[in-house]
Amino acid sequence: MLKFLKQVTDYTKEAVQAARYIGQGLSVTFDHMQRRPITVQYPYEKLIPSERFRGRIHFEFDKCIACEVCVRVCPINLPVVDWEFNKETKKKKLNHYSIDFGVCIFCGNCVEYCPTNCLSMTEEYDLCTYDRHELNFDNVALGRLPYKVTQDPMVQPMRELAYLPKGVLYPHGLPAGSRRAGKLPEEILEEAEENGAK
Amino acid sequence: MNLADGVQIVSFGVLALMMLGAALGVVLLENIVYSAFLLGGVFISIAGLYILLNAGFVAAAQVLIYVGAVNVLILFGIMLVNKRQNFVPLRNAWVGKITTAAVCLGLFALLGTMVLATPWAISTAPVAGDTSTVVIGMHFFSDFLLPFELASVLLLMALIGAIVLARREFLPDALEREETQQPVLTLPERPRELASAAPGSPDRTLGTSPTQRNV
Amino acid sequence: MNSGIDLQGSFIQLLVDLGLPVEVARVAWLPLPMLLVLVGATLGVLVTTWLERKISAAAQQRIGPEFAGPLGMLIPIADGLKLLVKEDIIPAKADSLLFTLGPAIVVIPVFLSFLIVPFGQNLLITDLGIGVFLWISLSSIAPIGLLMAGYASNNKYSLLGGLRAAAQSISYEIPLALSVVAIVMMSNSLSTIDIVQQQSGYGILGWNVWRQPIGFLIFWIAALAECERLPFDLPEAEEELVAGYQTEYAGIKFGLFYLGSYVNLVLSSLFVSVLYLGGWNFIIPIESLASWLSISESTPWLQVLTGSLGIIMTLLKAYLLVFLAILLRWTLPRVRIDQLLDLGWKFLLPVSLVNLLLTAALKLTFPFAFGG
Repeated sequence: MLKFLKQVTDYTKEAVQAARYIGQGLSVTFDHMQRRPITVQYPYEKLIPSERFRGRIHFEFDKCIACEVCVRVCPINLPVVDWEFNKETKKKKLNHYSIDFGVCIFCGNCVEYCPTNCLSMTEEYDLCTYDRHELNFDNVALGRLPYKVTQDPMVQPMRELAYLPKGVLYPHGLPAGSRRAGKLPEEILEEAEENGAK
Repeated sequence: MNLADGVQIVSFGVLALMMLGAALGVVLLENIVYSAFLLGGVFISIAGLYILLNAGFVAAAQVLIYVGAVNVLILFGIMLVNKRQNFVPLRNAWVGKITTAAVCLGLFALLGTMVLATPWAISTAPVAGDTSTVVIGMHFFSDFLLPFELASVLLLMALIGAIVLARREFLPDALEREETQQPVLTLPERPRELASAAPGSPDRTLGTSPTQRNV
Repeated sequence: MNSGIDLQGSFIQLLVDLGLPVEVARVAWLPLPMLLVLVGATLGVLVTTWLERKISAAAQQRIGPEFAGPLGMLIPIADGLKLLVKEDIIPAKADSLLFTLGPAIVVIPVFLSFLIVPFGQNLLITDLGIGVFLWISLSSIAPIGLLMAGYASNNKYSLLGGLRAAAQSISYEIPLALSVVAIVMMSNSLSTIDIVQQQSGYGILGWNVWRQPIGFLIFWIAALAECERLPFDLPEAEEELVAGYQTEYAGIKFGLFYLGSYVNLVLSSLFVSVLYLGGWNFIIPIESLASWLSISESTPWLQVLTGSLGIIMTLLKAYLLVFLAILLRWTLPRVRIDQLLDLGWKFLLPVSLVNLLLTAALKLTFPFAFGG
């Protein structure tokens, strides 16, 4: 009898516990309702990519020395470097260069290791095509400058959360020239240099 | 004849036709699933007839129990049975058919004579209508107590039987072994024997580690 | 007790005064409630789908529909129109008759159940003596339609979904009915009007939720399971069953299933508000307020006010429960089929039986508070 009663009490306790957990979960969901929506109305509004954003890679044909370092550091040896040896100048002459962005993982190793800085990251990220072969960019396509979100008249640029002024959570309707919270990297650098000079 | 009477007669005709048609369909159709669904139609038509007789509660109970429970369970039974068996025509099928017909005709004759023999004294007392639940409850706990309790004992027996059937450990082992059936879409399992583990093959001895073999 | 507004009586009276015979006036009245039920239920569903989108969005820190009309309020109409004009596909190997019949059998009983939902003393289609029992028995027809749809689709996912739906529906019907029986025991009547009447008089304190807290919870859980809402949406668990019995459906037949499930949700919420939350009653009793302010109960403007307040209160309570259901959807993960059946048969059924016995005992001990 006592054992049965204990079983009943244990069962009731478990049920009450379960109900409490469900209540906790509900309160979390309810709390989410009054939070700021993080929606960006994409084709009309776009977030401004951060400084270290790793987007489509830009390539400068004239700077390239066809050393193939980018191919070696690439995790999948993706860049295709087509060159021939020019016997008169005893230099490699670059014919074609291409990267397939359908395969690229935007790790940035090539940009990191390029000895002449002919590769660089851009802030372009909407690489949408109807055919995946169109994502294979040749040197001409790689040399195009990226479209800037802030200069597009069709697009309303939005600052990301870390670039908003202090206390502001919503990027709509910011007054022009409002500063982000904290110091800018160059200011920090300047201060450090000043302190070092002292 | 006023409007309400006309509506009643028309709906009685429609319901009766529906019921008879569906009942014939249950018996005559080849596809058993159709029969089961039509059985639901029969039950619903009967519920409609109850409504025409001002017995709303009985009609709702009919729908709840027969359509909602019995018919759904029949459908479940049909859909969950996974036994494929070739249709073997019985040799003396006509004997069964004739017996069935005889029994059915006998039943029909019995009921017919009963209908004709009963003095149908249509009571002029007001119909219970909405208070029928009270009347039914009164009858259940007074003059119909014994049948009511017997029915509940029957249901209890069915309940216990279902539990016993569902709990397989109470069944004797021998019975289970007899009915060992291969699950659908699997091959009968054979004792596994690796070719490499055959006697005489070098890999058989466990002591040889790769390093030892490479020496 | 004053009967409040009698729409049917006044409508027929109006037509008779215009010179029509009484019979014709009654016939003219007949289609109006039917139309009202269809339009009202559909409108309720439209609002519910909009709420579902908006609340889901809010719970996930999104905005939700925004461009179709103000606050995206036209999105349910766009949804409905899309489903109406989409191609209605019947799979080649499906059983076309049963395939077409399935959605209808699911939807019709749900709409029929709206006959007994009261929005005021006389603001309901019919005050049937069997009241809530009609709803319980009608909702037991739906599994037949689901099995039909599942079988006729000739698709194993559909069949499994249909079987699951039917199993879920019949196992949660029992706790649902038992908790309703406890309520009926207290009000001594199956009629929805009487059930609400029994709760009125003391404002919020008189509502059944205080006398039947366990029954309220059981009813709500079972109602969610009946509506196949998360966390009990196993029949259409998309990870395992694609879309359950709806897999092969497209166009307006799918729309009927969709409509049916949302109408069912609205209906269940309405029934919870009628059975447990005092139906059309305001938080404070209107009648005593009126008598305190010495206003006669038969004052026309008071009657209109009471009527509209009743409708508003019923809808408010119902939509509060819809809101809770949507919130639950984004809070709880889906249960497994064995957990679902365990919960139904091993937890809700015994607890609801205990609740019923407890109610009977309390009714015998405190006949005043528990409707002697």
